[in-house]
Amino acid sequence: MTAPAGIDPRGPRFAAWITSALLLVATVLGLAAGSPPATISFGWFAYQPLADATYASGDFAFIAGRPFWLQILLLRAAQPAFLLTLVIALLFLWGVLSPRTQPWSLLFRTLVRPRLDPPAELEDPRPPRFAQGVGLFVVTVGLLLHLLGVPWALPIATAMAFVAAFLNAAFGLCLGCQLYLLLQRAGILGRAPRLP
Amino acid sequence: MSLPIALVIGAALLAATVVAGLLLRRRDGRAVVVHGDRHVDPADLMRPLGSQATLVQFSTEFCARCPQVRRMLGSVADERAGVVLAEVDLTSRSDLAARYKVLSTPTTLVVDPEGRIRSRFTGVPARADVLAALAATTPQEARS
Repeated sequence: MTAPAGIDPRGPRFAAWITSALLLVATVLGLAAGSPPATISFGWFAYQPLADATYASGDFAFIAGRPFWLQILLLRAAQPAFLLTLVIALLFLWGVLSPRTQPWSLLFRTLVRPRLDPPAELEDPRPPRFAQGVGLFVVTVGLLLHLLGVPWALPIATAMAFVAAFLNAAFGLCLGCQLYLLLQRAGILGRAPRLP
Repeated sequence: MSLPIALVIGAALLAATVVAGLLLRRRDGRAVVVHGDRHVDPADLMRPLGSQATLVQFSTEFCARCPQVRRMLGSVADERAGVVLAEVDLTSRSDLAARYKVLSTPTTLVVDPEGRIRSRFTGVPARADVLAALAATTPQEARS
């Protein structure tokens, strides 16, 4: 068995602190927003308090020409909790595709690690990468259900991902990593035995 | 939902996660004495059993805490004559995970020279607990 080059185990834990903070903010925003909008009303203008009047009316004029379902989708996608969770999902995706260039990993290597003692042991990069994939899956399901209008789907998904990220950051427990064996035993994941 | 209520729920979520983490950490790595007659098949380990005891560690490629357990068990096995460490990678062996009822990794078994499972640790065991489990396994051997 050839394992890839080791990484400093404090890197993924550092990233998990940032991720869990973002997920907690996203959960609070999602809870405060409540259910995704199901109808379009005058209240629409209140959904984007940050947008200036020109933008809002121009935007609305653009949306107004669209079919009703698209207007609803755009409304749901414009909620702050959705946008923040989308950013988190993209960061998870980055961590799966290219863990070394992921922004938190880069931040750790350039700013944090030089101030720490050298690591006692280097560890396998595959478990944290797999866990990023689990996080991506959970928040993506939340984003899609939110777009479909399922109430509370987004804060529940971000809360689940928060629990996993916080347990990793504060206690070194990797729930996503534990999930591998359960999924494999359920026959959902896994691969054919390697040939000798 | 108003923002203050959402903030309270967010704080409650944080507190509940801290409590869950503390409970998980306290439960983690505890030794469970295995009674009855459950055996390990040496063919599954791909190595012969130790003359005093065998430490069987189940891992996967995606197990974050397995390497630290492997290092600790490896140093125990190096120190104690007749104790060997066998690591079983379950990444592509769900059959073995099912046979030994492994639901999470790292899981460590303390096995006597006949292959009978004597103790089981789920999580990261303390070195002292592993030594105690080995001590409970080997004297039995001296008596028989």
